[in-house]
Amino acid sequence: MRYRYQSRGQVYTVNLERQGAAYRVELGEQTHEVAILDSAPGEISLLFDGRPVTLYWAADSSGKWVSLDGCTYLLEKPASRRGSGPGERQNGASLRAPMPAQVQAVNVSEGEQVEKGQTLLLLEAMKMEIRLTSPQKGRIVKLQAHEGQSVERNQLLVEIEDIDQE
Amino acid sequence: MFTKILIANRGEIAVRIIRACREMGIATVAVYSEVDQQALHVRLADEAVFIGPAPASQSYLSIANIIQAAKETGAQAVHPGYGFLSENATFSQAVRDAGLTFIGPPTQAIHAMGDKAEARRRMQSANVPVVPGYQGDDALENLRHEAEVVGFPVLVKASAGGGGKGMRVVWAADELEEAVAAARREALHSFGDGHLILECYIPRARHIEFQILADLYGRTLHLFERECSVQRRHQKIIEETPSPLLDDGMRTKMGAAAIAAAQAVGYQNAGTIEFIVDPERNEFYFLEMNTRLQVEHPITEMVSGLDIVQWQIRIAAGEHLPMTQNELRQRGHAIECRLYAEDPSNNFLPATGPLLRFHEPKGPGVRVDSGYTSGDEISIHYDPLIAKVITFAETRTAAIRKMQSTLKETVLLGLTTNWQFLQDVLADPDFGTGQVYTTWAEDNFEGWQPPECELPPEVLIAAALTQFQTPGSSDRSGHAGETSKDPYSPWRVANAFRLSE
Repeated sequence: MRYRYQSRGQVYTVNLERQGAAYRVELGEQTHEVAILDSAPGEISLLFDGRPVTLYWAADSSGKWVSLDGCTYLLEKPASRRGSGPGERQNGASLRAPMPAQVQAVNVSEGEQVEKGQTLLLLEAMKMEIRLTSPQKGRIVKLQAHEGQSVERNQLLVEIEDIDQE
Repeated sequence: MFTKILIANRGEIAVRIIRACREMGIATVAVYSEVDQQALHVRLADEAVFIGPAPASQSYLSIANIIQAAKETGAQAVHPGYGFLSENATFSQAVRDAGLTFIGPPTQAIHAMGDKAEARRRMQSANVPVVPGYQGDDALENLRHEAEVVGFPVLVKASAGGGGKGMRVVWAADELEEAVAAARREALHSFGDGHLILECYIPRARHIEFQILADLYGRTLHLFERECSVQRRHQKIIEETPSPLLDDGMRTKMGAAAIAAAQAVGYQNAGTIEFIVDPERNEFYFLEMNTRLQVEHPITEMVSGLDIVQWQIRIAAGEHLPMTQNELRQRGHAIECRLYAEDPSNNFLPATGPLLRFHEPKGPGVRVDSGYTSGDEISIHYDPLIAKVITFAETRTAAIRKMQSTLKETVLLGLTTNWQFLQDVLADPDFGTGQVYTTWAEDNFEGWQPPECELPPEVLIAAALTQFQTPGSSDRSGHAGETSKDPYSPWRVANAFRLSE
């Protein structure tokens, strides 16, 4: 059986073949012999190329979380096009809330021209002040934030368009 | 001795205090907000009282609700933990006015040390060295003038502040105005008080603090130091004791200064004196006093053998401290790493969410203080601290090695954490030789990204082999069986029963 996973931008393919009580695994160029030693909810002990190893796992809407030697890996379904859905600008930039927060201050208005690095909004979350700065020189074409507003993670706050070159 | 104590806090410190009470046979009352109904501290306490909606201002910071809860349950004393209302003089007085014991210092000591300007004045009177600076009328013109006197770089700091809020480093005179405006705004917002002071900024300074324990009868002791120089934006990440910098001479001098500082404000119960140490000149300066228990108190407990929380309770109950300074000893080396639900590769922004699985490491010299278990949700409303992992060994090198392998035994699923960042700091040669200072972590790890490495094949194979298993299968309801909120669910207590292959 073939399984595909994506992690940090790279796609991996795992090919599993049952061989009696064990498995033959193909991963890219490599082949491995694997047997399951023990299995409990969220835990699996394998004999991996002759070596015993225990891994812990859990799954949620983000994907599959796996822990090996304390290090946590997140495996997602491949070809998930996160961050580039409909509504993303072709030119210019969109600024979204990095986490649920409250808008503390709005320093600009719609139609205003801004410089790269200029502070556009101040958000507050978890007792921290988060500064949203403009990633580029441009003009504010959409401003969807006002002081005191509560915003959610990824909520669109500002849209900036490129300024026509002279 | 008290028969019932209310813990006015949540998370790991509430769990810590509840444990101390249980060991002493004292009944415990927990308080909880809407999102903490199933939290560990609530499950461990003998009683629990609901005190309000999730935002802290409406629950854990509600003096009225907490005092009400204490009265309803017949608690005789209140332990405030750290953060929240622990350094709020109004709260400590309200507890006392309600006829209850506040497990902490006298209200006037909280006042005196809570105001940075006042604290500096008192220390100067007591001949405790303070960071050169200015505390007075903070009109911009005065600050401009005084900054020239103190000399650049200068630190503009909120007098009522702490935790790095309301602070700006100013390297040149033309930056002062904006820094003052920003610091004042942050101070007003975070502490309700925009008063600012100035302090000489010492680059490559080290943050070394001393633990104080004082009874109600004038006996004031220190339980040695903690080095807390591995920080990011003034938030501590790794703490250790003893400090790799101090020799016995310096330790004795600083210890004496810490005691003098505490006595200058009539301090009682547990507290910490923070010093800034200039390693070039081997000078130390009083920075501030935290009039409460500290997050990193466990490392002091490991090397001194004392249970600080139990001593807080005993002192508040009127017991005498039986030991003298000469009888106190430090032994071995202890390190604490704070595991945070945050993403170091994304500006350390909190990465809150469900803790699908949390497997605490164990072993000789390993201690874990946590407020969460598998299935709990790390909420955006509170600090994203998941757990403190503490290791204790004979030498510093052994303690570091133990921490590195202990972290490898820790299982954290469902969240992005600073685990890899901690490992990278622990493995850094500067950390290995103890050559750290307060901005070292920021300087050395600026723009840190997790190492680019191939995914271990075992990880992919395990994912494939467990694709269709029941708990945590993404084909099911999206809930891992382990995350069941039902405290009686068999998945909560399941361990190693075999599924037929």
